[in-house]
Amino acid sequence: MVDPIGGGMVALAAGIAVGATGIGAALGEQMIGSAAVGAMAEDESFFGRGLVMTVIPESIVIFGLVVALILLFVTMPTI
Amino acid sequence: MFEPQAMTKVIVAGSKDYMGLAIDSLYKHNVVHITDFVDEDEDFKIGKPYAQAVKLSERAVSLRSIASYLSITGKEDVRNRYPAGAITDEIDEKTERLDFEVTQVTDKISDIDSRIKDINDQKRLLDPLRSFDLSLDLYSGYRSLAVFVGTLKTVPSISDITNDFEFQTVPYGKGHAIALFVPREFEDDVFKRLQDQSYSALSLPEMEGTPKDILANLDAQRSELESEKEKSQENLKALRERYTDYILASDEYLSIATQKAEAPLRFATTKNAFIIEGWIPTKSLELVQRDVDRATDAHVMVATDASEAVNVEKVPIALENPMPSQPFEVLVRAFSLPKYNEIDPTTFVALIYPFLFALMLGDIGYGVVIIVIGLVVRRILKSKGIRDLAAILVYAGVITIVFGLIYNEFFGVALVGTGGLILPSYAYPTVPRFDNVLTLLLVTLVIGILMLTLGYVLGFVNEYRQHGLKHAVFAKMSWLLMLYGGVLVIIEILPPLTTGTAISISPPLVGGLVLLVIGLLFLLLDEGILGIAELPSLLSNVLSYSRLLSIGIASAGIALAVNRLSYALFIDKGGVWIIFGVLMLIVGHAVNTALGILDSGLQSLRLHYVEFFTKFYRGGGTKYKPFGYERKYTEEK
Repeated sequence: MVDPIGGGMVALAAGIAVGATGIGAALGEQMIGSAAVGAMAEDESFFGRGLVMTVIPESIVIFGLVVALILLFVTMPTI
Repeated sequence: MFEPQAMTKVIVAGSKDYMGLAIDSLYKHNVVHITDFVDEDEDFKIGKPYAQAVKLSERAVSLRSIASYLSITGKEDVRNRYPAGAITDEIDEKTERLDFEVTQVTDKISDIDSRIKDINDQKRLLDPLRSFDLSLDLYSGYRSLAVFVGTLKTVPSISDITNDFEFQTVPYGKGHAIALFVPREFEDDVFKRLQDQSYSALSLPEMEGTPKDILANLDAQRSELESEKEKSQENLKALRERYTDYILASDEYLSIATQKAEAPLRFATTKNAFIIEGWIPTKSLELVQRDVDRATDAHVMVATDASEAVNVEKVPIALENPMPSQPFEVLVRAFSLPKYNEIDPTTFVALIYPFLFALMLGDIGYGVVIIVIGLVVRRILKSKGIRDLAAILVYAGVITIVFGLIYNEFFGVALVGTGGLILPSYAYPTVPRFDNVLTLLLVTLVIGILMLTLGYVLGFVNEYRQHGLKHAVFAKMSWLLMLYGGVLVIIEILPPLTTGTAISISPPLVGGLVLLVIGLLFLLLDEGILGIAELPSLLSNVLSYSRLLSIGIASAGIALAVNRLSYALFIDKGGVWIIFGVLMLIVGHAVNTALGILDSGLQSLRLHYVEFFTKFYRGGGTKYKPFGYERKYTEEK
């Protein structure tokens, strides 16, 4: 690593990528999750489908994670 | 294995005179799933339950009330099974006698309880007067005197009303207890004065002797009652010991008898005949046919009905998998049972689920712990669902150890090689996770692509069987083509994009683009323009598998942190600190194991439900509920 400031920026960017997407995913899951639990209280067989719907927003944080990993392991060494 | 059990639709029909025999015979086999008859018309009516149904349920109610008095919950182990015949003969008399015996004891207990309550009430009333020496009967019955006995906040002065009084007072609780005697004529004035101090009168029981003596007497009475109650409770316990077997067995007997007596409510009947519609596993058909035939002397017939075999919506679903993969049925059921013409994904789940789980957790130590937990839970708990989950945990644990060997992790510490815990000088080729993040990321994406491929192939098979080849190609092949087209294109253009060089037109790139276009064309033909909206899900599905890496790294990271912290904070200091260090290791790794099971378990499940199942599996099948009963406490001759 040649440039400490650039490297630090990249690390920060990776952190923001995971953190911000995590907040986004959480906001989405919060609403779906409470609705899914409500549906499950009515009908327990809803568990499987409820789980599927609840975790749909999780892709957002996975995207963030992939970006972070690429930043840390692909971009970082080139700085 | 890949399909639910084959079912045959049957119609059981015969003369009403033989209905009872037919019910007995069907019930014994416990295989026919009866479709309830609902559409009454001129000719066919819903059957009437047998007359004894009412009496049976009444008896069941009284038996269950006895069971609840004896706190029998149905989870008890029983030593011997009751022969069903013995219950039939003696149930009336024996239940009555049992009812009498139990009620006698429980009545006595509730009588004692109410007497104890009375005593407590009296004690509560007399307690404030404990230190007054006046006998209780002297507090009332005066013509010219008004008596105030009670409690209040502070003692007021009444000398401005009259000096002619007798006043006793002691501090009681937060205020005072008083006994005040004044001439009748001042009663109202004094009462007002007392009321200002929140006076509350005690309504004294009619007894003789000083409060102190009475209280001592009441205490003695109470402890006597309590020992009596204890004795009665022991009696109840003895009754419970003696009759648990009988109560469970006769409850089962009554459930069975009631179900049989009420069975006609599910049949179609005419004046003289009855008809049962239902489904039976094809392999049991002949046996039941033969048995019903013999039991009813050929007066009832079990006929197969091929006319409705195509209506897959109504066929009840019984999963059929070999022993090793059976526990995984619980994961499939939690999603939804397959339809009759759908592939049962249990086998694939059994092969893939532990693999994904272990890929995430991947630690020899945690693997061993998980196996132990699974085995212990299987030994202790009886619920079928929990036992299945425990079995899955054991499978996952074994493969977790394998991955632990590959990652070279033992509770977060290297096992072999430099800095290794056991064999520092020896090393086989290992893949430490922290040093191979990019490689492992690629591996997870490849796993994702393979699993999606499998999903689409299975989806192709399902669609082909349900809607024909054309639809299968449009709906599933399209996605498969786009998946691989996309992969080819990304492989070709990603390196030039990151390095900033020009993209060269190469055969793989062209091939990938062609695949993408063909796939897109198929998709448009199948779903129209809206299909495009779903395109990004292909990318997110594949990327979703990168969680296999991230969850794993997080888990390994926590293990590493626990080890380093405990070493730096405690173990390094030596002496007594080592105890704290070890404690921290145990707690830290216990928490991480719990997190590991929960997280790896749920994420692996999610990769099945969301990414894998959605490619081929809809579910929504009806559960197969055979007409019959699995006897636990009784046995038939």
